[in-house]
Amino acid sequence: MNLSEVRSRLSNQRGQALWRSMEELCDTPEFRKSLEREFPGGVDGWINSGDQSRRRFLQLMGASLMLAGAGTMSGCSDKPRDEKIVPYVDAPEMLVAGKPMFFATAMPMGGFGRGVLVCSQEGRPIKIEGNPDHPASLGGTDSFMQASILGLYDPDRSQAVTRGGEISTWAAFWETVRPRLESKRQTGGEGVRLLLEPTTSPTVLAQLDELQRQFPRLRRHHWDPIGRENTTAGMVAAYGKSFAAQYDLSAARVVVSLDSDFLFDESASLRYSRQFMDGRRVRRDRQEMNRLYVAEGTLTITGSTADHRLAIRPSEIAILARALAAACGVSGVNTEMPAGREKWINAAAADLAANRGACLVMVGESQPAEVHALGHAINHLLGNLGHTVHFTEPVLGQSDSLDVLVDEMRSGKIDTLLIFGTNPAYTSPADIPFAAELLRMSKMRSADGTFANLTAHLGLYDDETAYLCQWHLHQSHYLESWGDIRAFDGTASILQPLIAPLYGGKSASEVLEVLLGRPERSAYEVLRGYWVSQWKNADFERQWSTALKSGVIAGTALPLQDLGSPKVVASASEKSAGEWEVVFRPDYSVWDGCFSNNPWLQELPRPFTKLTWDNAAMISPATAEKLNVVDGDVVRLMLNKRSINAPVLVTPGVPDGVISVSLGYGRLRAGHIGTVHGDQTIGVGFDAYAIRTAGERWFAGGVQVIKTKRTHRLVMTRSHHAMGTFTNKESLKPDAIATEQTPEWARETANRKLVRVATLEQFKANTNIIKELGGESEKKPLLSLYPGPEHGGWDYSKGYQWGMSIDLTSCIGCNACVVACQAENNIPVVGKEEISRQREMHWIRIDDYFGGSLDDPKIYHQPVPCMHCENAPCEYVCPVGATTHSVEGLNQMTYNRCVGTRYCSNNCPYKVRRFNFLAYADAETTEQRKLQRNPDVTVRTNGVMEKCSYCIQRIQRTRIEAEKMLVENSGAQQAEFNLIERLQTACQQACPTRAIEFGSIIPVGGEKTRVAKLKDEPLDYGLLRELSTRPRTTYLARLTNPNPSIEPAKGGAA
Amino acid sequence: MPRLFHRRMNVIARASLLAIPILAATAGGVAWHVQTTSYVTSQDITMEQPVPFSHKHHVGELGIDCRYCHTSVTDSSFAGLPPTKTCMTCHSQIWTNAAMLQPVRDSWRTGVPLQWQRVHNLPEYVYFDHSIHVAKGVGCATCHGQVDEMPLMFQAKSLEMSWCLECHRHPEEYLRPREEVFNLHYQSPPDQLKVGRELAERYHVRSAQALTDCYTCHR
Repeated sequence: MNLSEVRSRLSNQRGQALWRSMEELCDTPEFRKSLEREFPGGVDGWINSGDQSRRRFLQLMGASLMLAGAGTMSGCSDKPRDEKIVPYVDAPEMLVAGKPMFFATAMPMGGFGRGVLVCSQEGRPIKIEGNPDHPASLGGTDSFMQASILGLYDPDRSQAVTRGGEISTWAAFWETVRPRLESKRQTGGEGVRLLLEPTTSPTVLAQLDELQRQFPRLRRHHWDPIGRENTTAGMVAAYGKSFAAQYDLSAARVVVSLDSDFLFDESASLRYSRQFMDGRRVRRDRQEMNRLYVAEGTLTITGSTADHRLAIRPSEIAILARALAAACGVSGVNTEMPAGREKWINAAAADLAANRGACLVMVGESQPAEVHALGHAINHLLGNLGHTVHFTEPVLGQSDSLDVLVDEMRSGKIDTLLIFGTNPAYTSPADIPFAAELLRMSKMRSADGTFANLTAHLGLYDDETAYLCQWHLHQSHYLESWGDIRAFDGTASILQPLIAPLYGGKSASEVLEVLLGRPERSAYEVLRGYWVSQWKNADFERQWSTALKSGVIAGTALPLQDLGSPKVVASASEKSAGEWEVVFRPDYSVWDGCFSNNPWLQELPRPFTKLTWDNAAMISPATAEKLNVVDGDVVRLMLNKRSINAPVLVTPGVPDGVISVSLGYGRLRAGHIGTVHGDQTIGVGFDAYAIRTAGERWFAGGVQVIKTKRTHRLVMTRSHHAMGTFTNKESLKPDAIATEQTPEWARETANRKLVRVATLEQFKANTNIIKELGGESEKKPLLSLYPGPEHGGWDYSKGYQWGMSIDLTSCIGCNACVVACQAENNIPVVGKEEISRQREMHWIRIDDYFGGSLDDPKIYHQPVPCMHCENAPCEYVCPVGATTHSVEGLNQMTYNRCVGTRYCSNNCPYKVRRFNFLAYADAETTEQRKLQRNPDVTVRTNGVMEKCSYCIQRIQRTRIEAEKMLVENSGAQQAEFNLIERLQTACQQACPTRAIEFGSIIPVGGEKTRVAKLKDEPLDYGLLRELSTRPRTTYLARLTNPNPSIEPAKGGAA
Repeated sequence: MPRLFHRRMNVIARASLLAIPILAATAGGVAWHVQTTSYVTSQDITMEQPVPFSHKHHVGELGIDCRYCHTSVTDSSFAGLPPTKTCMTCHSQIWTNAAMLQPVRDSWRTGVPLQWQRVHNLPEYVYFDHSIHVAKGVGCATCHGQVDEMPLMFQAKSLEMSWCLECHRHPEEYLRPREEVFNLHYQSPPDQLKVGRELAERYHVRSAQALTDCYTCHR
């Protein structure tokens, strides 16, 4: 790749070209190959093998005939002859076989809960949805919530209590730990330490307090590698005491984010995403939107939705924050304007000042306390308190104290260490030798040869920490246990189990109850006991069942506090950051590593890079030129004499001089999926914790970057399934973008306008701009050789006509829809090697397009499911009628008819069809994982094509309900409308920002549906409309709202 | 040049030319026929059950309604098989010592469910829904036959796709009033086609084209 050539090409072109990958921009041979061949690699193995003799041909022919014969023989027995029906002995109340039931619970993460509704089919939880009544979910989910259902069935979860690696029992552990605690009653629990994840569970906190009363000298420590240390310290610096801040983005017209990825890593991110995007939906009757300024030290999904994004070194953000505070008029900040940032700072400050009480400054956890305090000062000065910013008492009280614990371990003050849930042997900072001390403690023997200390670990996996402890206790999954948890605002939820513990695990609450000397009490009794004590005068049973049903306990949100004016912290002196800075971030797929063993998440193409099964050191193109490296080159990052080797991945949008790495990879004991074997064909990354220190958790300067001779094979999906292979191959080259000299015939195919973008000003000035962007082709009538309804063709004016509308402005590229679709539709995982052959199976993909310059790109997310074309090119070419059209406008895929010619996929201009080259669905899928499968969706075998069905199982279920209702009462049109409007596809339901709407595009019960209204919006456009495919999935164009003082309005948006 | 083949070979070659298509057609015909036999479709084959439950006795003679045991037939895709408790509502009072009912009593006592042999079975890629058929006036007997005359349950129809399509293409030939769905003695009127069309209209039965969409049954 020659980046300078790319730069000149980009600067020479008029208008805005969009590209998905650097390979595409450079038009590399690999990219060219992937464009020209639908399935590069693998299929043409014989041709490339060199042995093209007649003999070899006959051998292959014979083998394939034999296999075909075997296939036919086995195909005859598709009807299982000997199947049993096993009814209940005494059926549970309310359960109707064949009908799913939903239960409200909450998923704990980082100590906070987010409400979920879990779909249970005949006792098996199979799907997670957001709980619309829960303040932290509002009905949305993220990829972690969606994928946690697979974590429940993970066969690698530990399945027994072990002692020194040998299988033991719970009873044996109780007999060890209880006498030990009893013997310490005299000394008040001297030498006993608990190490926990921070938690907001009221029951667990009450149990811990009781334990503390029983053993006054027992100490609790907490550890969370992501944590909220800086946020808390910033609050203390500003207000002298820790409070929890919560934001109301629905009231904010201007938002400034200082390194805050608030759409992803806050405990209320789903709520913030919804509120923020609700303020950006421009419709015919609402032509205003909020404005987002982001200054960030790496590339985040929040940054990608910004109207003005400033990619700067993370150490410079403090300087920027000071200048912004000064520009806003915060007194006591003496600073000079950082060079080159004046425009951004002045514009942001002016915008903030113009929206007093309706603006917001958010600071990310990665920034030091000083920046947080400045954020509070600006918010206070601009009168945002009580409008966009609210404070409560802290919801999560504990702070990290791993360093204190390790000091005590080293000095031998501790002889009993019980670890709950957290995995510090892997996640602890590199300068805190937790693992070594834990190992020493576990191995130490007293004079009589017995173990001197007791170390035990309660966790879902037999992980790095479990390995170093004497005892490992298997924990129950949150879907298997009773419990409670609070949300970001204090709202408590009851966790109710969906299934009995698969392997007999126990929850933290149950283990604590044993430590309290009450082994006979179940978690259920403990939980109810706690809430009985809370609701003293209430009608307990009624309140209890209400709490279970709604998923939230009413009235438990913490009261809002009125705070005075914050202190402005004197600016700390900056130490030089050196040439390179490294940024650590939780990973978009595995967070801090706790989701490493989840194959759905590992296979999920990460935002921007579309990297799978690995992490990488993301660097900007300019950095790559300076370091003289290309994708996959391994560099050594040296920081404070510690070093890691990381493959680089050139990603436009990362600030120059920054090496951005994500945490959670390179695990040694994660399970079969997440453990690193040193095999490039499997992947799973490098361990960035190895150079992360307690003092510099989020970014560190002075890192040395040394290019090594090694390379690592990174597998990205960003150049897969490119749209535009079938007409003009030149079309994707940026220099082929239409200019005034381009002849009209070429103009149509030259720029396909896959993503249409305009600014709010442009749109207001001309509401037709989106249609006009389509150019000549938009004006032409769509032609078809096929007959219309008047000649016996399809009549789309009756019944339900399904369609989808995807709002590109609202999409934040978070991947929740991709995992939701995978869970709902039994989509298999294929692994890194198969993905390198373009064989990923996701039915919906998110294409991330870059536009503008290489150094300051704009980023657009475009989810692409099946378009369900009214004139579907795939249907005409199927030789066996396996893909056909329905009267409701669905493009149907019938697996049992498919013989695997793949003509349909070749002919699909959107590249949304997926082929089962191998038996992905059954290969190495263990029995436990099969329990997750949706019984309403066929599991596909090898040799079969598949694709998005608009969740036909959900359509059929709702339609059957509607039809039954109409038979009973044909006048129930309003009820019918409500029922159909409640129908949601899996992707739509998962979306935290409601970017996806689905429904009937013609009126139902005489009333116009949501999706039909959206399709009437001026922003609506169809992808590749000029091909006359008449897609049922259409898009609402991406609108941005730039500040005219930074970006003067100019024409020619792409 | 000597002849490679004897003159007789001409006859054999000509006969072969004729025989190959005939043999192929015969083989095809046999294969087609085998597909429609009960060996493949399981039609008319009586299955052995843990308890020889007689629909003839319970339905035909005692007159118990279908829905007494198959409770979810109007609500769910699955008609439902009764839990042991349903059997015991009567059999804790009558025939309490019958040897035939020993497995039922064992199940009730031990809590281990009965395992019935499935009689009506569709391939995994077919998604049949009882409730919508019942709601739109398809009688139980239309698919399940004269259950009230079956001492042991067997599959009365072939359950092949072509059999399903007969009705999905011409529902008016089979529909009956909703009140008669569970009536096993219902006789279709002489003017069934006319009545059927009216019923299809009244019950909003969708067009044959819609009913034969692949996604109607396959997902």
